[in-house]
Amino acid sequence: MSGNSSKKILAPILLVVGVVSFIAALVIDFMELGYEFRGSLLIIGILGILLGLFTLPTEKYHRNIVNFVFLFPLLFTFGVTVIIPLILGIGYSFTDWDGIMVGNFVGFDNYVKAFQQPSFLYSILLTALFVVINMILVNLVAFLLALLCSSKMKGVGFFRATYFLPNLIGGIVLGYIWQFAFSKALLGLTEKLFDLNYSILSETKFAFWCIIIVYIWQYAGYIMLIYITGLNTVPREVLEASAIDGANAWSTLFQIKIPMIASTITICTFLTLTNAFKMFDVNLSLTGGNGSVQNFMGGSLTNGTEMLALNIYSTAINKNNYALGQAKAVLFFIILAVVSIVQVRVSNKKEVEM
Amino acid sequence: MKKQIAVVLALTTAATMLLAGCGGSKDSSSSSSSSSSSSSEAIQLLNGKPEIDAQMQELAKAYEEETGKAVEVLTIGGNETASSKLKELYQAGEMPDIFVLEANQFENWSGKLVDMSDQQWTEDTDVEYVNEEGTLGFPYMVEACGLAYNADILEKAGVDPTTLTSPEAYKEAFAVLDSKKDELGLKAVVGYNVNATDVGWSSGTHVFGQYLDAGLATDDTTYIDLLNDGGQLDSDRFTAFGEFIGLLNQYTDSDLITGSYDDQVLGFASGKYAFVTQGSWIGATLTGDDKDAYEAAGSFEVGFAPYAFEDGINTILNEPTSFWGCYKDGNVEDAEAFLQWCSEDTAQKMFVENMGFVSPYTDCAYTSDDPFAKPVTEWLAEGKHSTYHTFLKKDGLQDATSVIFQNYAKGQYSSAAEFTEAMQETITSYYANN
Repeated sequence: MSGNSSKKILAPILLVVGVVSFIAALVIDFMELGYEFRGSLLIIGILGILLGLFTLPTEKYHRNIVNFVFLFPLLFTFGVTVIIPLILGIGYSFTDWDGIMVGNFVGFDNYVKAFQQPSFLYSILLTALFVVINMILVNLVAFLLALLCSSKMKGVGFFRATYFLPNLIGGIVLGYIWQFAFSKALLGLTEKLFDLNYSILSETKFAFWCIIIVYIWQYAGYIMLIYITGLNTVPREVLEASAIDGANAWSTLFQIKIPMIASTITICTFLTLTNAFKMFDVNLSLTGGNGSVQNFMGGSLTNGTEMLALNIYSTAINKNNYALGQAKAVLFFIILAVVSIVQVRVSNKKEVEM
Repeated sequence: MKKQIAVVLALTTAATMLLAGCGGSKDSSSSSSSSSSSSSEAIQLLNGKPEIDAQMQELAKAYEEETGKAVEVLTIGGNETASSKLKELYQAGEMPDIFVLEANQFENWSGKLVDMSDQQWTEDTDVEYVNEEGTLGFPYMVEACGLAYNADILEKAGVDPTTLTSPEAYKEAFAVLDSKKDELGLKAVVGYNVNATDVGWSSGTHVFGQYLDAGLATDDTTYIDLLNDGGQLDSDRFTAFGEFIGLLNQYTDSDLITGSYDDQVLGFASGKYAFVTQGSWIGATLTGDDKDAYEAAGSFEVGFAPYAFEDGINTILNEPTSFWGCYKDGNVEDAEAFLQWCSEDTAQKMFVENMGFVSPYTDCAYTSDDPFAKPVTEWLAEGKHSTYHTFLKKDGLQDATSVIFQNYAKGQYSSAAEFTEAMQETITSYYANN
């Protein structure tokens, strides 16, 4: 009883102190008063509020409050690192922000401008093409590797690890390694093969395929692991039964294994899809987005290998047009969000069917 | 149970307080830049040249020893640009007191920079950055950009570099050198790097800058004004320039169409090219990273020849390529004192002797052992210099133009006229769309 009565006093005090210091911290920050303890004050405020809530003498809402208290750290981090930047970003895209100051509100000007840029439209098309090609090739290569690596050969673990290894190297490093391969190591070969006197990375159509090759090399090992897991879940009895019925390896693969891992295929397809959309690091380090394109929408372009993410980056950083870059980033977000929502819908349906 | 929860809560609190403490201490170190109240705190300088980071740290140490005031040097990484780093620091509220700026970036920071026209050092130099807001940029070096040559090779081949002031003279000289390639040990007459991906700044900014300024007085803004008026090129001048670039393409090392900057400089250092399309900044590499090759090639003398694409062009670009600006809301007093010190004897000695810079200050008594110091000083003394209006072109234009330079080298255009046409189209659409 005494515990309860002390709580009755403690809880409101904690709540009030918490709310006051929380607001005070925010006010100090927004007014740019520059007191250095504002960060600590904010955290004390939040802790006060949480403790106050936790000690509230209520039976009815106690469970909800506990849920909230435990979820709070995650929600807070998510809010600070994702939600707030997202809202700020959308806000900036309607202004003429130059990375330093916001001058004027310009409405949809940046969006209109983005769609008037042939180079941006080209990047969208190129990215779409890249995504489709990659979705097919990465899955194909990864599935074949998985078939190889799920056999009962000796030392298969070594091969699995080797195929997976490129995925552990950062994309920038990988891009430079392959740049060396294409413009130094393989130079003699490709010069003869394509009758050029320079690296294939400087010929737009070849450079695009170079990016695809590097991307498959980087990503197939990872998808392979998922396929291996899928293949291992195919029940042994089913395989045995089909063997007794006289199925050869070919029909086992097409009639048994592939239908049994349909859900894995869906997951992998969407994984490769969203990841290929976000292609940036290899693109930056391998070709920098350069490449000459003749005759696109009645003009020529110089960003022949520039994917969407890199286009956004170079708009903001290299061309010093932060607001336009931000508008493009919002469009990019919308595209990715649509793809992800479709993905979730489709995978949910599949699960029901199974 | 309750006790346990209490313990956990207490521990979490302690942990968060600890974290908050860390955050707090970081805060206090960064706020030194934004508050001008205390003069005992270190001033911060953002250095845009990663290659001189160590020397800049020494400079800061020397200043601290002499005056007792600390200077903290922040240096950008090799892969970032100073301007984006600066915006990052600005957003984070951690602006340095002094930072590097290229000529076209002063406008971005309009109203946030200190007018330093009352400073002593302005009287000792005539290349400081001045605009309608006052004297905003402190020059700390002069960089020269022309067609750098290997004087020993030219002498052996019997080519007098002082005669290279017309396209005809170049044609003859290149032909002579080309015919004697084997005996001179040359791989190619010219090392002209047009790799748009990694060295796009070279063709897109520096070589292109020759079109804008070669042969003109430093205050002549004809061609940059034309360019910034919707991206126009003067077709006569640019076609002549294109012819000259065609000549470079004809005699260049084809490996450099997609080669790296390192290959190009190493090739020149090893005496494999008679000419190279880089400026005085490669001097530090000749005596640094490529020292062995340069010594093996006989530590040859170097010089600059003008990009004489029209008869009588006889200047090289020879001015500061970047400046230091002072942040208005920073520690202005200390920053200005530091810059004044930088223009004086002790610092000038370090700039020239340790960093290999050519000093923009007339009273500087030191000469560097950098191979390019002598030709740069000579060109300056003779007054045959033009400036870098190329830094006033639209941001990022070099990314587009460098691809056209590369296409030309790849043989995509059959004549200078076609090259001019393609360049004009690209630049116009760049100005229209960005």
